[in-house]
Amino acid sequence: MSRKIPLLSPDLRRLYALFLGAVLLLFVIATALTGFTPALFFGQSGEIWKFLSEDFLPPRLPESGRIQVIAEAFLTTLAMAMASTTAAALLAFVMALFGSERISPYPKAARFVRGFATFLRNIPTLVWAFILFSSLGIGTGVGFTALLITSFAFMTRAFIETMEDVSSDCVESLLAAGASFPERVVHAVLPAGLSGFISWYLYCIEVNIRASTIVGMVGGGGIGLVLFSYIKTFHYGIACSIILMVAAMVIIVDQISGRIRKEILK
Amino acid sequence: MAAVLSFKRVCKRYPNGVCALNDVSFEVLSGEFVSVIGPSGSGKSTLLRAANALIPISSGSVYAGGERISDLRGSRLRSARRGIGMIFQNYNLVYQLSVLQNTLHGRLGYMGALSALLGLYSESDKIAALELLDELGLADFAYSRASDLSGGQKQRVGIARAVMQEPRLLLCDEPIASLDPSSSKTIMELLRSLAKKRGIACIVNLHQLDAARRYSDRIIGLSHGRIVFDGTPQMLDAAATERIYGTACENLMTGGSDVPENSATLP
Repeated sequence: MSRKIPLLSPDLRRLYALFLGAVLLLFVIATALTGFTPALFFGQSGEIWKFLSEDFLPPRLPESGRIQVIAEAFLTTLAMAMASTTAAALLAFVMALFGSERISPYPKAARFVRGFATFLRNIPTLVWAFILFSSLGIGTGVGFTALLITSFAFMTRAFIETMEDVSSDCVESLLAAGASFPERVVHAVLPAGLSGFISWYLYCIEVNIRASTIVGMVGGGGIGLVLFSYIKTFHYGIACSIILMVAAMVIIVDQISGRIRKEILK
Repeated sequence: MAAVLSFKRVCKRYPNGVCALNDVSFEVLSGEFVSVIGPSGSGKSTLLRAANALIPISSGSVYAGGERISDLRGSRLRSARRGIGMIFQNYNLVYQLSVLQNTLHGRLGYMGALSALLGLYSESDKIAALELLDELGLADFAYSRASDLSGGQKQRVGIARAVMQEPRLLLCDEPIASLDPSSSKTIMELLRSLAKKRGIACIVNLHQLDAARRYSDRIIGLSHGRIVFDGTPQMLDAAATERIYGTACENLMTGGSDVPENSATLP
């Protein structure tokens, strides 16, 4: 018994080794191309640390007159995320009905609906914000629309999957009973998929609360814009406290929606 | 007796080239109980779904209720479909809704657009549904969520929904394939008695040869999309079974002690 018995087939082992080698090679190539060296990061870590500890810390409270503005900006960001996600969910539901071959009354067009959603989804929210910002100018309208487009595209995809998972069987049975398309939607697709739709909707709200801060920074309004203006005017202490509050808000919303989702999916 | 369904030289070719039905012709008479047997992939499911145009056929004609169902579109297709009930292997209920709601889904095809959309079923429909559930032994479950039922109970709800359509014909796609032997017997007996009592013709896809023999008036055997047997259960001998399944009877699990060689002695 001198040779050890391998647990994996030699083919699989070779594949794993190849994969690991490829990852390492890619890392080296990418590092060389970007000119980044780990040494740079560690060499200048003193600078970064100094900036963080002296400029950002400790968090400072803004002047009392600005507190109301900041609070309102927070509410704007929350409202922007909620409103855009809700509008997107309603539109996505209608769109998704036509994006599934097994549910849509026009199965041949389903591919194009999915293709359209994929196209919209693959353009990042930030890019949409820049595009809209150039045409609409600064304001919550830009943030709302940018979030609406991407979450609409995302939920269309997610809703189609949910519908095909849970309702294609009962849609078939109602089809056989002579029910019309709106009847099939109301009596089969909606009740069968409701918990799934709500779960995706809540997930999307979580994502959009984070995204609406970032979209705000490029002109979408809300707390992102306020934060950006403090950073640009070198009020790093105040920016720091806003960042901490954003993190707290995201955590709280995640907790709440996570709990609701768990209850719904029971 | 009049035919409730007739297939005339029906062919179905799927886009991937598979020929699921090949020159299939038969008629089902009013009140007749027909089993369709054949190996997986022989076209049984396609045959059922061609009967109510859930699957479009490639050539030939399917007549149901005097109309060429393969030509119908829109509301005329829907009113043809409501005269044909369908029962599924996986029950295909809306599990989030109550048993009563699922049963009443059988009435949707008869209702006006707005009342159907809002689920405003008439009181007489509700009474009929409750009576039917009682007949099927589900009186105590009318307000249970469909997801809380056992497999046999779910299939009885599936039967109730189909019977609520007041159909001339029931299409049953492997109704007992997911059930235990005792529920299977209950379902087959309920199907047969309900159908006979109401004069509804039945086409039942089955994998269980013993069930096909015991409950059918007539058996159709499919192999590679062609009808290779069409006759009474007594006529289904070893040679016919071999023709359908493409293998000797010793290689088949035919169920019970029903040995095909002795089929003439079966009831």
